[in-house]
Amino acid sequence: MRITVDGVEWQVEPGEVLSAALLARGRRALRASPRRGAPRGAFCMMGVCQECAITVDGRIRRACVTVVRDGMVVSLEGAGSDKVRMAGAHGA
Amino acid sequence: MSGPLCHRVDLAVLGAGPAGGAAALAASRAGLRVALIDENPEAGGQVWRKPVRPAARSAKADPGEALRADLRAGGLTLLYGRTVWSVGASLDLDLIDGESGRWERVSAGRLVAAGGAHERVVPFPGWTLPGVVGLAGATILLKSHGVAPGRRVLVAGCGPLLFAVAAGLAGTGIDVVGVADLAARGDWLRAMPSLLTRPGLLGQGARWMASLRAAGIPVFFRHALRRAEGATGIERAVIGPVDAEGAPAPGPEHAFAVDALCVGNGLVPGAEVTRLLRAPHRFDRLRGGLVPVTDEAGRTGIPGLYAVGDGAGLRGAAMAALGGEFAGLAAAADAGRLASDAFAREAARLRRAMARERPFSDGMAGMMRLRPAQVRAIPPETVVCRCEDVTRAEIDAAVEAGARDVNQMKQFTRCGMGPCQGRMCGDVAAELVAARVGPREAVGSFTARPPLRPIGFDELMGDFDYADIPIPEPAPL
Amino acid sequence: MTMHDLAVVGGGVHGATAALFAARGGMDVALFDRGPLCREASGVNAGTLTMQMTRVALMPYALRAHAMWASARDWLGHDVGVVVCDGLSLAFTPAEEELLTYRAGKRREAGAPIVLVSGSEARRIEPGLSPAVRLAGHCRVDGYANAYLTGLAYRRALLEAGVALRESTPVRGVTPTGAGFELDTASGTVRARRILLAGGVWIEPMLAWLGVHLPIKTLVNQLVVSERVAPVMRTVVGIANGLLSLKQYPHGTVVIGGGWQGVGDRERGGVELLPDRVVGNVRLACHAIPALRAARMARAWAGLEAETADALPVAGPVPGVEGAFVCGSVHSGYTSGPYIARLLAERILGREPDLPLFPVDRLLSRPRAA
Repeated sequence: MRITVDGVEWQVEPGEVLSAALLARGRRALRASPRRGAPRGAFCMMGVCQECAITVDGRIRRACVTVVRDGMVVSLEGAGSDKVRMAGAHGA
Repeated sequence: MSGPLCHRVDLAVLGAGPAGGAAALAASRAGLRVALIDENPEAGGQVWRKPVRPAARSAKADPGEALRADLRAGGLTLLYGRTVWSVGASLDLDLIDGESGRWERVSAGRLVAAGGAHERVVPFPGWTLPGVVGLAGATILLKSHGVAPGRRVLVAGCGPLLFAVAAGLAGTGIDVVGVADLAARGDWLRAMPSLLTRPGLLGQGARWMASLRAAGIPVFFRHALRRAEGATGIERAVIGPVDAEGAPAPGPEHAFAVDALCVGNGLVPGAEVTRLLRAPHRFDRLRGGLVPVTDEAGRTGIPGLYAVGDGAGLRGAAMAALGGEFAGLAAAADAGRLASDAFAREAARLRRAMARERPFSDGMAGMMRLRPAQVRAIPPETVVCRCEDVTRAEIDAAVEAGARDVNQMKQFTRCGMGPCQGRMCGDVAAELVAARVGPREAVGSFTARPPLRPIGFDELMGDFDYADIPIPEPAPL
Repeated sequence: MTMHDLAVVGGGVHGATAALFAARGGMDVALFDRGPLCREASGVNAGTLTMQMTRVALMPYALRAHAMWASARDWLGHDVGVVVCDGLSLAFTPAEEELLTYRAGKRREAGAPIVLVSGSEARRIEPGLSPAVRLAGHCRVDGYANAYLTGLAYRRALLEAGVALRESTPVRGVTPTGAGFELDTASGTVRARRILLAGGVWIEPMLAWLGVHLPIKTLVNQLVVSERVAPVMRTVVGIANGLLSLKQYPHGTVVIGGGWQGVGDRERGGVELLPDRVVGNVRLACHAIPALRAARMARAWAGLEAETADALPVAGPVPGVEGAFVCGSVHSGYTSGPYIARLLAERILGREPDLPLFPVDRLLSRPRAA
């Protein structure tokens, strides 16, 4: 089956979990942390740490608990986009 | 549309790992109608997780497969792939079916919380770089997904997962450049008597060590990470010696060019449910931190609420399964469905089994415990709260500004306010505040709130008509 | 033993503001709280500084308080993350249009600069709005603070003003001595010439120390916050009946409030959120700002709010007890609190407040039995 990652079509296997699929194909950095814009990748793989929260079909989802689906559209500019990066801790 | 689909049962079990699975089976066999709920698509928890690729596991007797088969065989309501977001005072659970998007509610009046544990990493500079993954996370990647975190990998931290991950990586042809163990070789030798109570597991450990030796992988005992470096991902990891308490000690550093780093400093009980419901808790460093107060059968201070497995204090899979069974039977007995003499016989059997497991369990928990001196040595500019990029220096500054407990520190800094809700940083952040303010009991823990996991607003609200929103009466004018 | 000029019991916005201005007016002030400053209603509310949810009778106070919040850096000296922006109160149905027209009219008569605008004009002001909006009340005097920063800001200001700050020091009782009061505190007996009870929902048990029975109802307001997301809105958004408050902070989180009631009480705090009401509140928010659907809920909580029988504040002397004052139970108290507490500080300093206080007498059903 196929998914689209940042506009590029990827061949994936049914049952693959998105975070593992991304890592296996060399995508370590998944997003930027919102405050400092630092690169982040999947960390805990069990749905707790939220570091792999990316945009899947227009919604923010944890890649490590998301099983690939044919036609899935993935954007690695989701949660924590540096569009909401800010100077101070509280944005004030 | 609009309202939830309700499941009415006698017992809800949240978490389908060794503890929750055993609780569900025991209660079901005793005659209770049981709903078993888990976020993953299958039972097994993290330790007995079902592999995505069958080739990723050997075909040996697999306790996870056995559990999954037992659960499928017996009349339980299996609610897998569900995200639980609310736990009410009546012990009702509100969940979302990830597949259909349906809102469901499980009403039982009795709840076994079996949420398991999650990774603890004592922060070091660079630990937020892509390519740095937790030891438990690396185990999931390897065993369940058949994916390695990188091609040149350093493994660091403490506890048995170190050697399991290093040997597992080496066995798939990954270049493991070294293992840095917080413990000394002598610490393992001292733990040997307790390990000898489980010869099978001890033998597994010996095989891991042998495979590391055979592959020429150096093991640096009493060493910890000093820093990780890289631009968009880890490129280099540096370790250095530590003392018995985990603080940096004099001696040469070792640097490794790597594209992945697996690191873990034990586990933290995921006691969200019992904390959310305000059951009594205590701080127990050996058991991983804040744990619910329970009796031997997992009964908490709240009637009908049971807590079992690593989420109720780290004891490992074997103890989790026994504790889960105990709680499942206790729930049946408390519901009047299991005669007291029958329960007493089962309890005596479980007590004996738990006594046999306890030395090994305690020995392993001891190897994985948090070393406070390691926390105190975290450099000031190191990020502690990954979600909000809050550094150790900012936490210290909040204490200087008058914060006297972790929740006040949180308000001053946003530490713990991000989407993980302090699950990754909470234990270490509390230790940092405690280092300046007083005992861990005094500085408290981040207040637990719903949702149990972040949940999309779209998932939460489903389809609805505006006219159906039960808008309350207008506020006074 | 020192005799303070004023002892304030309760370190929320009311108590802390009164303590600050009393100290700046020359008094020796001690402030007590059983926990840290501003950790109850003043620290966990939605932070909305809107006129479109303010009670008509409070409008003159709320407008002045809004100006205070907007200039917090000047008079408080520290940042509470205040953003002044446009506010919109929405109507989605003909019935809501009618309600909005009536309510906005009453508030405009009371001085709030609210104008009614069409749905398309509202969407020009707030591009994130749903096309379902038919009519909106538009007010330029709106905005929000970052409520959880309140305690830190006040803490610094109070210490700079020389207030003896006694956090985590519960007061167990207060006894009039004729020449003042003795406070039985967790760290010993404290004496003061005057006392101000500013305990929010705990005003009822506090006044009982003085033999005064003033019933205070406890509201349990549910709140929801998203994780940080890219901008979906730039205004404060509510609905005609007042049961939504919605805005996005500069750091990206969206806070959804509106006073949907959870479970809790004075003794236990906000103990439980009712899932049906969380879902209802979220549906309402996403109905107003559709792009919010793509975000995730990070956290929900419930905070207490105090309300008197007539839902208007108590702020003034305690009847029959010389030197005792009370301040609290202000509807939307976070918005109006600083101004009302400052007025009371003026009164405690022996000056004539610029606007009338809110006497307690009206709420005392009958004289207490001797």
